[in-house]
Amino acid sequence: MLSSVIRVQLLPLLLVTFAILESAVSVKHENFKTCDQSGFCKRNRAFADHVTASGSSWASPYTVLPNTVKIKNGFVTGTILKSLGDGQPSIHLPLSIHFQEPGVARITIDEAQRQKGDIELRHGSPARKERYTEVDKWVLVGQSESDPGMKGEFSQKETIVSYGPGNGYKAIIRHSPFSVDFVRDDQVQIKFNGNGMMNLEHWRPKVEKEKKGSEEAKEGEEIKEEPKEVSTGEHGEDESTWWEESFGENTDSKPKGPESVAMDITFPAYEHVYGIPGHAGPLALKETRLYNSDVFEYEMDSPMTLYGAIPLMYAHRKQSSVGVFWMNAAETWIDIEKQKQSSNPLSLGIGAKTDTKTHWISENGLIDIFVFLGPEPKDIIQQYSARTGNTQLPQEFSIGYHQCRWNYVTDEDVKDVDNKMTRHHIPYDVIWLDIEYTDGKKYFTWDEHTFPDPLGMQKQLDASQRKLVAIIDPHIKNEANYPVVEALKSQDLGIHNKDNNLYEGWCWPGSSYWIDCFNPAARKWWDSLFTYQSFKGTASNLFLWNDMNEPSVFNGPETTMPKDNLHHGNWEHRDIHNLNGLTFHNATYEAMLKRDHPAKRPFVLTRSYYSGSQRVGAMWTGDNQASWSHLQASIPMILSMNIAGFPFAGADVGGFFGNPSKELLTRWYQAGAFYPFFRGHAHIDTRRREPYLIGDPYTQIITQALRLRYQLLPAWYTAFHTASTSGYPIVRPHYYVHPSDEAGFGLDDQFYLADTGLLIKPVVTEGATTVDIYLPPSSTYYDYFTFKPYTGGGTVTIPAPLDTIPLLMQAGHIIPRKDRPRRSSGLMRWDPYTLLITLDEHGNAEGELYIDDGESFDYRDGAFIHRRFTFSAGRELRSSNFASGIDVQGSGKKAKEYAKRMSGVGVEKVIIVNAPRTWEGRGTVVVQEEGGRRRGGQRCSFSAGRRGEARIGRW
Amino acid sequence: MQLAPSQVNDDFCDCPDGSDEPGTAACAHLSPLSPPSLGNAPFEDSNTTLALPGFYCKNKGHIPGYVPFLSVNDGVCDYDACCDGSDEWAKVGGTKCEDRCKEIGKEWRKQDEQRKKSLTAASRRRKELVAEAEKLSKQVADRIETLQTQIQGNEIKIKGLENNVADLERQERGKVVKQPSQPGKLGVLAQLAKERIEELRESLVDVRAQRDTSKERLLELEGILSTFKEEYNPNFNDEGVKRAVRGWEDYAARDKPQIGNEAQDRDLDEIAKTDADSGVINWAEWENDEEGDVDVLYKFEEYLPESIRGWIDQKLRDLRLVLIDNGVLATHRESDSESKELTDARNELKSAQDSLEGNKKQLDEHKEDLAKDFGADSVFRALKGQCIEKDSGEYTYELCWLTQTKQKSKKGGGHTTMGNFVSFETVTVDDVVPADGKGLGSGARIALKYENGQHCWNGPNRSTMVVLACAETDELWKIVEEEKCVYRMEVGTAAVCGIDSQGNGAQQPRDEL
Repeated sequence: MLSSVIRVQLLPLLLVTFAILESAVSVKHENFKTCDQSGFCKRNRAFADHVTASGSSWASPYTVLPNTVKIKNGFVTGTILKSLGDGQPSIHLPLSIHFQEPGVARITIDEAQRQKGDIELRHGSPARKERYTEVDKWVLVGQSESDPGMKGEFSQKETIVSYGPGNGYKAIIRHSPFSVDFVRDDQVQIKFNGNGMMNLEHWRPKVEKEKKGSEEAKEGEEIKEEPKEVSTGEHGEDESTWWEESFGENTDSKPKGPESVAMDITFPAYEHVYGIPGHAGPLALKETRLYNSDVFEYEMDSPMTLYGAIPLMYAHRKQSSVGVFWMNAAETWIDIEKQKQSSNPLSLGIGAKTDTKTHWISENGLIDIFVFLGPEPKDIIQQYSARTGNTQLPQEFSIGYHQCRWNYVTDEDVKDVDNKMTRHHIPYDVIWLDIEYTDGKKYFTWDEHTFPDPLGMQKQLDASQRKLVAIIDPHIKNEANYPVVEALKSQDLGIHNKDNNLYEGWCWPGSSYWIDCFNPAARKWWDSLFTYQSFKGTASNLFLWNDMNEPSVFNGPETTMPKDNLHHGNWEHRDIHNLNGLTFHNATYEAMLKRDHPAKRPFVLTRSYYSGSQRVGAMWTGDNQASWSHLQASIPMILSMNIAGFPFAGADVGGFFGNPSKELLTRWYQAGAFYPFFRGHAHIDTRRREPYLIGDPYTQIITQALRLRYQLLPAWYTAFHTASTSGYPIVRPHYYVHPSDEAGFGLDDQFYLADTGLLIKPVVTEGATTVDIYLPPSSTYYDYFTFKPYTGGGTVTIPAPLDTIPLLMQAGHIIPRKDRPRRSSGLMRWDPYTLLITLDEHGNAEGELYIDDGESFDYRDGAFIHRRFTFSAGRELRSSNFASGIDVQGSGKKAKEYAKRMSGVGVEKVIIVNAPRTWEGRGTVVVQEEGGRRRGGQRCSFSAGRRGEARIGRW
Repeated sequence: MQLAPSQVNDDFCDCPDGSDEPGTAACAHLSPLSPPSLGNAPFEDSNTTLALPGFYCKNKGHIPGYVPFLSVNDGVCDYDACCDGSDEWAKVGGTKCEDRCKEIGKEWRKQDEQRKKSLTAASRRRKELVAEAEKLSKQVADRIETLQTQIQGNEIKIKGLENNVADLERQERGKVVKQPSQPGKLGVLAQLAKERIEELRESLVDVRAQRDTSKERLLELEGILSTFKEEYNPNFNDEGVKRAVRGWEDYAARDKPQIGNEAQDRDLDEIAKTDADSGVINWAEWENDEEGDVDVLYKFEEYLPESIRGWIDQKLRDLRLVLIDNGVLATHRESDSESKELTDARNELKSAQDSLEGNKKQLDEHKEDLAKDFGADSVFRALKGQCIEKDSGEYTYELCWLTQTKQKSKKGGGHTTMGNFVSFETVTVDDVVPADGKGLGSGARIALKYENGQHCWNGPNRSTMVVLACAETDELWKIVEEEKCVYRMEVGTAAVCGIDSQGNGAQQPRDEL
């Protein structure tokens, strides 16, 4: 048996490592838990080991009570009994499986006694008695209609449900022991509890024991331990981690005792699994990465998640993709094991298929899992996004370049950087302020010495339609005469400690309180803080940055909050930890939505996130380091976010910690020009590195990369629009674009920009002069800059000296762009478009362009232009309205006004690569307007020397 | 390349150098700053430079100007360079830029007049500074002359004094030595020495005890700090803690002299014993001192007959002097017994020699000073040591000409030295001069380099580049921390008016808008 295990932790951890003496970033190992130090993880792994060791003699103690099974309106409901043996009464676990359109299933398992609140909490804890049921309130926003075609067949042994497109999917629910197989194309695609590792630790009172248990352990989590010095319960179980657990100086009071949930999920014949960001490792969680269970550093190849969690996993094989979404906000560990099927021992592994077995373990909450059956990656992301929400359509400026530094020290400094960018003809849209702009880390204030005139600063930026982003964190300084903290205290809007008093901890400002965004009153109050009257010195071109929202607590266990802290509704912090960042981010988004009348699209960057965060802003990968390995890691990290439904993602260009070499900085800008979120950032102890300071040729090359980003903004904005309507990734890994090309399943260092056919392979190594790009079979690509053709079906080597970004165009695409360099994206609004067309072997190509005002919500009233471009048979380029059904351009007032305003904006130039030779010598082309009106001949020129390039003048 | 007239300014870029579109932004992308693209420049590789510096604004009523092509028809009125608003002739998105040349021009002329006035005043001020500097260097030159004369005088005087001392010494050595007075000076000395040594010994014991206590306290403190460094939470980012840790690391990294070692302690133990215990000195022996053998040798003439004593005495004296002069015989010195006359003479010589040394040193300094670079016309001689200040953010910054730059926190605490003056430099700047004229403008500027200021944690020693531009009054316009602990001051001073950065010729007054 060939197997390897990857263990992934889904507890967003915070990584603040200032005061670093060595250049290497090193997390203090002792600050973070290993699975062994996390009781529930240890117990479930031990349980899994016990199950594995027992082999075929193991029987899962969970069975469905057949007479409770009901099939109705897309739901299969029933009760699962957890047998405890020894004549003890079984535990009742309500089961619900909801079959939704289009072919999505949701399995939910709760605990009856706790639903009823029929338990007692220790230490007189005021915490809620139920398992946390409100993850979906924060995460799910959309589609949940029952599949009308769903049919179920019940028998004593099993319930078989057919559902999905043409009722082609099947769910086989076995009653004893409980397991579910999901079948598509007559093949089992996903198995739940196939290995019997399902576990739900039911509530039990703490028994102060006298006697030593002598009976054999039979219950699910009752693992027979060597009766050494462990404290053993009445059934001989290791109770040492059931009640109080200590880590560092913190003791978790665990008023509810053990309550973990776990499930084994097997993907038969699937060798590749992707997803579950964010961690700093390769995109494909592969066999080649060996077991790595407790190395806790933001080091490369670490399975540890960092600041956020999206528990969406894909399994992929040739022509088939399936996925699961584990909707649970508690600390979660995922073990991944690859196992060669051993059906034919004589084949010696040749041709043997590999199964991927996963084991999902959460500290508490429900078992609540969505099952997606594909069959293509895009179906999964589309269905996932239809539930958790598409990424917001961002303001156009926010996909331009962001210039950040901890810190621009004065308002004059900001203005100076702004002037210098202008004078050096370097485009940018946003300049950022980190925590130092505040008066003593009191948010919603300005340091009067360093920022005496914030409005003047914003006015200057606005002159070239540039924006300012200021940081606001969730910790509120505990200081007298600070109205914000006074309101938080007097209205009781903060997170509470286990004794239900306001929780006080340490963060940037020192002693602080934390806003509890689970509290509707707190969110309402938060809204009021962002008005222009309240947050003095802010103008309409100021936007927001939410950091430290994991939440980061310097003196807390694992640099976050004690798990027995209490939130609104008396939910424990352990119930909601992974959601905390989302609620804060969401509150800021809502506040910004209310700031302007009429509302403009907010822009809020977050560090912590969960499924659903994509609806309200952008994320970045946190505090990386100025090293080649971090540049390299940024690509799979961002791709991972993109396939997990949160495409507006980026990494700090240049690396946050340390000083990048000029070459590294240049390469990072070239890569960053293809991050969906493109921001340069630097730590306070690093040297200044604004692009104009680096010196030529670097400044020139960096400016080229920035201008390339701006040139392609129409394509980027169109990609964001697609993401906002379908959930599709903005940057896409190879397997996503070519799901049948097995040779490319492991690729995570080259990627596509949405549907444009642009293929990027950023240079991430020092001193490179060429890169190797893998191209799929039977395809043709052209170099973006030189139009040199490359033929697919293997690896090609393309030149990549420092001034060259390896960027190819797949034949058959039409790429919209704007070639005129401007100071900011806002100033490009009225510029004409260029269409860059690469014809395929049949002389065909297609593409699309979406435009709106880039800032308001008028697009919802039809104020947008969405065109489809097709080039057919080497003869005719056609531009037509995009009729996708979702958003056909409206005929309302706003739509008309917008159309009128944009009437002067057209296409100035069409460049056709691989143009037919017969065009040679032609001097004009015919241009017609809609309705057939002829506009006469336009100049055109043809150059065979450039591999068939035609260029057509202004329309 | 030939184009039809209709192709000029048709908002479509035809010429590889953009010369067909002087009035639009259509060729703005033709620049080495743009991504290279074959399809972009008309079938030419890009990286060509534009034929024109920008869009020409007539600015009737004011002076003409160029706006970069990339600012043409972008919806922003670039009044700085284009007061007539002609850069937005296409009125994209309804942009309207009215002609403001009248008021801008009027304002400009007003300011220009002011600037010219100011410039005249600045030139005058510079002349004053130069005159002042000349005066100061004249003073130095004069002083050098005086010093040289004084030195000559010193030398002559010293020669005379040296002769005098030599004569006196001769006489002194030849003098008949009198019987030592009773009960013997040596005895008294021994008594005094004994007391003194006893006192020293006691102090030594005390000091040593104090040292040991301090050593223990130091070890304890170092222990506390080293634990502190291990255990503090870097996440807190408390400035005070950070500074303390930094200080400790600097301290720990320094070579520390070892405080006491066993060998030294053994020596100290030995030294600290009383003389009676150690048996090193038997004071009683010394308190009743007899003449030594050498004294007898020196004094043997006393035992000769009177008649020949005089002659022999003279011969011996000469011989002894010869021997002494040739280093064969040690000088017989009993400082106590040296005559006041000789002592005075020696003192006089010493003070004359010191005076010579002092004058020589001063001469060197002044010569060095005179040879030092004080910029063109030595104008900075007039400013050296004077200081100007400016508040910026939470600090007050201070520039002292040709000496130091400093930073003072308004929140209290001491000065931080941002560098000591090293040299004159030339710095190329490219800035827009604001309306008040307080800006560097563009071109090469004289700068003062200050280096080796206070060390920055995790960074270099602080340094400052002080970039100068012509202004009527000496004023610190702007301070920026260009990167960690590398500062740049922009300073106006009349000292650089009318000179170029090489320190010669005439610098034209900046006439940018």
